[in-house]
Amino acid sequence: MPRFHQRALFRNTLRLILCAGLAIAPAANASAPSQPVAGPVRALHLTVELLPLHDSIQPGGNTLIGLHFTLDKGWHVYWINAGDSGEPPTIKWTLPAGITAGAMQFPAPRRLPLGPLMDFGYEDEVLFPITLSADSTLKAPSAAPLAAHVNWLVCREVCIPGKADLALPLQVAAQQGPPDPTRQALFDRFRSLLPQPLPSSAKAVFGTTPSGFALALTGHSATSAQFFPLDDSQIVNAAPQPVQGVDGGIQISLKKDVNFRTPLAQLNGVLLLGDGTAYEIHAAPGPLPAAVAGASSAGFLKLARFIGLAFLGGVILNLMPCVFPVLFIKGLSLVEASRHPHSHVRAHGLVYTLGILVSFWAVVALLLGLRAGGRQLGWGFQFQSPGFVAVMALLLFFLGLSLAGMFEIGLTVTNTGSSLASRHGYAGSFFTGVLAMVVATPCTAPFMGAAIGFALAQNAAVALAVFTALALGLATPYLLLTFHPVWMRHLPRPGAWMEVLKQATSVFIFGTVIWLVWLFASSAGVDALTALLAAFLLLGIAGWILGRWPARRVPSVFAAAVIVLAVATPLYALWQFPVTDSGTARAATGSSQAGWEPYSRAAIEQYRAQGRPVFVDFTARWCLSCQVNERAVLNRADVRRRLHDSGIVLVRADWTKHDEAIASALSELGRSGVPTYVFYVPGQPAITLPEVLTPGIVFGALDQLQNRPKEKQEARLKQDSQP
Amino acid sequence: MTRKNTVHVRMAAILAAALSIAFASSARAAQVGSPAPAFHGTDSNSKTQSLDEYRGKFVVLEWHNHDCPYTMKHYESGNMQSLQKQWTAKGVVWLTIISSAPGTQGYVDAAAENAYMKKMGAKPTAAVLDPSGAIGHLYGAKTTPNMFIIDPNGKLIYAGAIDDHATTDASDIPSSKNYVSAALTEAMAGQPVQTAYTRPYGCSVKYAQ
Repeated sequence: MPRFHQRALFRNTLRLILCAGLAIAPAANASAPSQPVAGPVRALHLTVELLPLHDSIQPGGNTLIGLHFTLDKGWHVYWINAGDSGEPPTIKWTLPAGITAGAMQFPAPRRLPLGPLMDFGYEDEVLFPITLSADSTLKAPSAAPLAAHVNWLVCREVCIPGKADLALPLQVAAQQGPPDPTRQALFDRFRSLLPQPLPSSAKAVFGTTPSGFALALTGHSATSAQFFPLDDSQIVNAAPQPVQGVDGGIQISLKKDVNFRTPLAQLNGVLLLGDGTAYEIHAAPGPLPAAVAGASSAGFLKLARFIGLAFLGGVILNLMPCVFPVLFIKGLSLVEASRHPHSHVRAHGLVYTLGILVSFWAVVALLLGLRAGGRQLGWGFQFQSPGFVAVMALLLFFLGLSLAGMFEIGLTVTNTGSSLASRHGYAGSFFTGVLAMVVATPCTAPFMGAAIGFALAQNAAVALAVFTALALGLATPYLLLTFHPVWMRHLPRPGAWMEVLKQATSVFIFGTVIWLVWLFASSAGVDALTALLAAFLLLGIAGWILGRWPARRVPSVFAAAVIVLAVATPLYALWQFPVTDSGTARAATGSSQAGWEPYSRAAIEQYRAQGRPVFVDFTARWCLSCQVNERAVLNRADVRRRLHDSGIVLVRADWTKHDEAIASALSELGRSGVPTYVFYVPGQPAITLPEVLTPGIVFGALDQLQNRPKEKQEARLKQDSQP
Repeated sequence: MTRKNTVHVRMAAILAAALSIAFASSARAAQVGSPAPAFHGTDSNSKTQSLDEYRGKFVVLEWHNHDCPYTMKHYESGNMQSLQKQWTAKGVVWLTIISSAPGTQGYVDAAAENAYMKKMGAKPTAAVLDPSGAIGHLYGAKTTPNMFIIDPNGKLIYAGAIDDHATTDASDIPSSKNYVSAALTEAMAGQPVQTAYTRPYGCSVKYAQ
């Protein structure tokens, strides 16, 4: 770049000397229309001139004329869309009969930052090619004197409008002489910057993102690009345009102008690629290609960030209430295991990790498979199936019975402890890993939502990497403990207290069962609920058999048969007594939705068109984090009052059951599951709140919506985040 | 368990607060249809001007730089002054705001601004001196002139250009559609503003770099 400046400076200086020497530089800013001047005209901070590529034009032929500006250092003139300030040059022709001029063509500009603003234009030198056409009836040879009135705005820190009347004594000739090589080179340089139509092998589409738009160019080998909008007031000109590699091309992120509120039907602009090629883009909305990991450093950084977020989310997941019962079991087995050789403990930690990993992989494979089949599914989708909920409830109930002391299975602490070295013990560790993943699903830890949303929008390899990070995060605290025997020394000594604690754990497990039953009842109906309760009774009987005749073959087989019957009962009932959508589920949620409207995309669009902001609570009954947020924050009297007073439309998108519209709304937000909290504000990108809400977060977002001074918000946030 | 729970809640709260501060700190331009950002500033008569005190009235904000050719187009033709007189006579508050940083084009002290207004016959309600650019940044003012209209409820109802002829040529003014007059006329008649957002034209606001 500096070299470019130097060269231009040199050229300018040369031209100045030339102009001064020939004394052909009249004042260009005279207010009265002046006599058109042939040759270069010196004006404030620039020199302007009409340059023909050839000295003549043929009857029925074309030639190129260039409007040529040579600018003083640091000064610029503007592109067709000048950006945040400035105006492009204009030209008004006075042409002899039989000669017509096409429109001024604008080479691709450069970004001209100006404090918080961004203009688009040209420094140093620019040539705007214009095609002239001659009528075939023109006589040759004859004179064709051209005159043009040119207006421009030249700016550095300040702007100066200028105008000049330029003349060009063109000839009509039968034969066209060869162009001057220097002039040919000048024309070629700027013509190569003229935006070309996209080659047919390439394709440009745009999609909506949380921050605005993403423009994808595929079928092209470009690795970097800048986008210059042809329409003003659609994007924030000054916003950086990060480029990431995607499947088959690149993608540029554009930030939307807060005041741009009509849906964008076509994104028009010029894409200037790293190699200097410029394409004119008229992109239609379309599906964005999947991101490619490592295709660009930006893409790689993004992936690394989401992997980091997923790992952190996994670690925090250990603190979420969903996983507590499982951690309890693991903790007790750890205490018990402290008696055993350290290598065994470590092996169990690894098997537990493997259990978590395998179950996460299974879920991601299933999710991707079903998505490939065209279904919009997200994190926690399995809880949308009442059959799954029933099996979960039965499993936990049975586990609860065992922990309460009714009978012993391989999973229970004492058994795991006594058979640590046996294969059976390993199976138990693996299973607790699976269990940890399964019970963790209804909880969404901070950072997880964004990471999972990102992962599921990418290709399988990226999705797998992010989910693996999440799984490792979940497993890490326990794994670290098993790898550091020194830390284990701080654990209490095994004893009778463990039996009491183990039995106490069953209380939590039964609590979870009650929640699952509530969940099941809200989507399945009374008949299926009765079948589920009957299944609990059957499990009770099976447990009694196992406890009454422990480790005996025939009773065990009989108990297993009863268990199978227990699982089959609610599943059969679900199949036999299907419940329609309009049934109990809606009725049950009706009362708790006072003040909240059900989700409807059309309604939200309508509110936004009316200029009313909308808050959407994407929730599900099976999502424990959602329930906690709703009860602890959204239903708080002061929060409700504030939301109500702000005139914000409250919408609750209930994803308890599968809903394609809600799933696609979530994926547009870059999320794939609940909880997701969004403010849709007219003419502004959607504002997403974190997964764990506090009243301070909601107030902060509301303050921001109402453009309160920032200090106040932060003060309030600090105040509210104090426990 | 209880201790663990408390730690968990506190951690989550801190994380969430950190996240929300991170997203709250990203600057935003004033948004049409939303409450106009509150501000206060000192005018050329050393009086404090605050948006809040004009609740109940229409307020016009005019970003100004007396040396900008686009501003000069509207002052030397008398167009801006007649708009100021016409609308302040109807109870509209007209605030001329100067966000040029010291040492940049258009920067004035109070005395210079008063002399300028006297010379030009400018009749805004007040001329607010904003050399730090704070008010300009709050509204995302880009150019001089850049016009904003706030309704009596404090809602921003127009942001953008003064009219539809982005030139420095005063002879364009008679044939221009004045967006400010149109928006005020519509809003005073209780109608929605048809053209509520346009690309402002003019010189860039000379903010401190």
